[in-house]
Amino acid sequence: MTDVLAVLPEIVVAALAALILGIDATVGEERAARWLPWVAAAGLVGALASGVYYPASGLFFRGFVEVDAFTAFFRFVFIVLALFTVLVAPSYLTRQHVPRAEFYATVLFSTVGAMTVALSTDLITLFVGLELMSIPVYVLAGLQRRDEYSNEAGLKYFLLGAFSSAILVYGFAWLFGIAGSTEYSRIAEAVAQEGLGSPAVIVALSLVTVGLGFKAAVVPFHQWTPDAYDGAPTPSTAFMSVAPKAAAFAAILRLMSTGLGPLHVDWVLVFAILAAVTMTGGNVVALVQTNVKRMLAYSSIAHTGYILAGVAAIASGASAGAAVLFYLFAYGIMNLGAFASLMYFDTGGTTRGATLDELNGLWSRHAVGAVAFTVFLVNLAGIPPTVGFLAKFFLIQPVLDAGFAWLAVAIALNAALAAFYYLRVVVHMFMYDADAKAPRLLPSRLLTASLAVTAVVTIVLGVLPDAIYAFALDAAVPVLVR
Amino acid sequence: MNLPVIDNVLTVLVVIPLVGLIPLLVVIRDARAAKQVALVTTFVELVVSLLMLAQFRVGEAGFQMVESVMWLPSLGIRYEVGIDGISVFLVVLTTLLTFISVLYSSAGVIKHRVGEFMAAFLLLEVGMVGVFLALDLFLFYVFFELMLVPMYLIIGIWGGTRRIYATMKFVLFTLAGSLLMLVAIVAVYLASGEPGQRTLSFQELVSGGVRFDPTFQVLAFLGFALAFAIKLPMVPFHTWLPDAHVEAPTAGSIVLAGILLKAGGYGLIRFALPLFPLGAQAWLPIIVVLSVIAIIYGAAVSTVQKDLKKLVAYSSVAHMGFVTLGIFVLNVQGGVGAVLQMINHGVVTGALFLFVGIQYEKTHRRLIADLGGLANRWPLYTTFFGVFVLASLGLPGLNGFVGEFLVLLGTFASDMRPIGGPVWGAIAAVGVILAAVYLLWMFQRVMYGTAREAYRDLPDLSPVEVAAALPLLVLTVVLGVFPQPFIDVIEPSLARMLDLADAALALYR
Repeated sequence: MTDVLAVLPEIVVAALAALILGIDATVGEERAARWLPWVAAAGLVGALASGVYYPASGLFFRGFVEVDAFTAFFRFVFIVLALFTVLVAPSYLTRQHVPRAEFYATVLFSTVGAMTVALSTDLITLFVGLELMSIPVYVLAGLQRRDEYSNEAGLKYFLLGAFSSAILVYGFAWLFGIAGSTEYSRIAEAVAQEGLGSPAVIVALSLVTVGLGFKAAVVPFHQWTPDAYDGAPTPSTAFMSVAPKAAAFAAILRLMSTGLGPLHVDWVLVFAILAAVTMTGGNVVALVQTNVKRMLAYSSIAHTGYILAGVAAIASGASAGAAVLFYLFAYGIMNLGAFASLMYFDTGGTTRGATLDELNGLWSRHAVGAVAFTVFLVNLAGIPPTVGFLAKFFLIQPVLDAGFAWLAVAIALNAALAAFYYLRVVVHMFMYDADAKAPRLLPSRLLTASLAVTAVVTIVLGVLPDAIYAFALDAAVPVLVR
Repeated sequence: MNLPVIDNVLTVLVVIPLVGLIPLLVVIRDARAAKQVALVTTFVELVVSLLMLAQFRVGEAGFQMVESVMWLPSLGIRYEVGIDGISVFLVVLTTLLTFISVLYSSAGVIKHRVGEFMAAFLLLEVGMVGVFLALDLFLFYVFFELMLVPMYLIIGIWGGTRRIYATMKFVLFTLAGSLLMLVAIVAVYLASGEPGQRTLSFQELVSGGVRFDPTFQVLAFLGFALAFAIKLPMVPFHTWLPDAHVEAPTAGSIVLAGILLKAGGYGLIRFALPLFPLGAQAWLPIIVVLSVIAIIYGAAVSTVQKDLKKLVAYSSVAHMGFVTLGIFVLNVQGGVGAVLQMINHGVVTGALFLFVGIQYEKTHRRLIADLGGLANRWPLYTTFFGVFVLASLGLPGLNGFVGEFLVLLGTFASDMRPIGGPVWGAIAAVGVILAAVYLLWMFQRVMYGTAREAYRDLPDLSPVEVAAALPLLVLTVVLGVFPQPFIDVIEPSLARMLDLADAALALYR
């Protein structure tokens, strides 16, 4: 029973997903459409509350699962992201004839998977969690069935995702071969003994890095990202650009710092180089995009690079883990908000996002939407007083502390480069006038309210971040390298 | 007469524009009401800043009216504000120029989206006032960047034809510099002590407990100095300035030249120099050479400008050269001269941009060749404009002279091996002569000669325009004739900054 109570939030979210499918089958989607998002939202809040009411800590299910502050932080992040997704999606789903109940249920199943990743201290739990998170996301990408780009996105994401899972599981097999166990703690003992002199350890480390690099969209394993993000229905893009990435980093943090922690002296340099390549690659390609959705896809690759820099700094202690966690939270809400802002534009039944020119004059057409979008972009650019700025501030600190001064400078220069394309969107919204070709706007009160509230939250947290940063510092303790 | 004493007056100064934003956002669609809210807010801010000035104790070197509250307990970062002789006039200058800009803009110059314009200005004022008050590097950075987005919008929405190019250039230059400063700030934080005792409070950093090793200082100084050199701007980072000024609306130009540039000079005196004296020494030769180049180059380029606004913009480059020269001759005369030069430049160049703007609103011409003969039509305009031009070229008796003279004195008195202060002083003095050349020549071509027919019936200054210009005129004369009271306020604090730098240097002798 204690085992079950320990994972109560996961159980609540899974039950909620099943309930929504049940409502779809009995009441019918059309009749439930109005209140279904609220059922999902209430259930998510309940899941979060259940974790607070039954605080557990320690190993459960015979060591397959560990509940600690790290888990609690990711539960909080994933539930907030799912909540935000469910609240911005309805108007888009309705007008594009995307099956709504399936959408909510799929998002929730994926959320359960992501939460499971954060729980795992065993390769088997980790793999189950990753797949439970990924498979619903492939579905989300292809959910707009009659759109060829959505189909392409789903197929591409599925093929490359399956490919990366295969690489990852092959790496896990090598780890099992070395340690004779799938538990992180046993793996740590074994690799510490073998050291990097053993070819088997090198093979395992490389395969795991590549596999997790695919999931997190690290350059050069990012090729699936632009098409998958661009082609997926916009609410799906908003969700899949944040939650799976956060889950991938939960996996990276826990596995690399505990299971493979004894080798961190060796892998941090590789991660630092990958981080620099990823942020630069994402930003440079984002510079030349004219489709805003695609631009944001490349920008999310750049943010992967920043977060990876925090992982590379893992040796500098709790501040590194806390920086990664805080960044994931900040990135989650600001990036989700930015993609969701594109849902105002009617692009004629396709999944296509608006181009820069189609954004012209949004300010005079829908002021609140334009200002909220601007706030999210300023967040992404890392300009104070926003939570996005603090995320960068918290991040630079461990990176410098770990002795990667060049990486800190690379982050700063990349942020300046990125400001160009984020602010160019603001130019089009505020400084050009709308012309006859501007697409129809499809405002929705729920969308506008959710975006406005979240935009304000990013500024409030940009001034008063201490509660969340202290939470992140606490949550980073389990992933300290030993 | 007893003036009211306001508690926590510095925080009140930061908060007033924010409070003003609330009613402004409510009435944002109503241009008339928005103007009134902005005028009242900036006027109250100006009055409170004057009351703050009255509370200031002259002759005290350290910080006054300090408020310090823990802001981010996990990191030991504080909300810490305070004021001393260096910053006190810059704060009052900020509130004055903001009020004048809002006053002038509300008289019909800004025709579309008035409410949004005023909102951007109030947000800008928060950043500008905060920059001069912040005593914690993190807080300083937040205010420094807070100035960016409103100015970006002001140039980009209400600017001229090439406004988008100009505003993007302005933002990207500034951001590139300030993000490197952010890295340097984080490095300072990490070097300030063991985990748990780290701080970014300026007072704690210079109190003697923290020692930065020489290589660290050279690099950290570079990070800070680049950000400030771009903001100031120093040659060769000045190329954003002419574009931004030419395209900015008049009010934007006034605060850009009057306040935003000063944030760069202020940052050098307040933070870069006392925190990293070894770094300053290492980079000093380059900065002095670049300052002298800026003085001569700025003047030379101003001479050949065809566009009136661009001429004033390039003259700023030359004037800012005096500021950096004065700071880096590292003596009290030069430093006091640099601070006075910042204040004077704020007053005079703010006024010059105001008058170029007024002139443009009437004639819709900015090319010097298209103007001429305005003196006969506009006696009042000519008088005002003439005084500001004379002040800008450094005529004794007006304020422009005082700062430049002190900077030159300081330069002659310093021994900068191997070439020596007098040589640099002599070259810089040539810049003063060149200033007379381009400014008087410009004045002659714009104001005298034969007027075009089209300008015959254009009206002279309106009462609002006189009201906007008059405080600046008074300051120009007062600062020129009685500079001593101002020097008495600035000198002790400036000497303290140099002493702090010396004390830090002594640790390595």
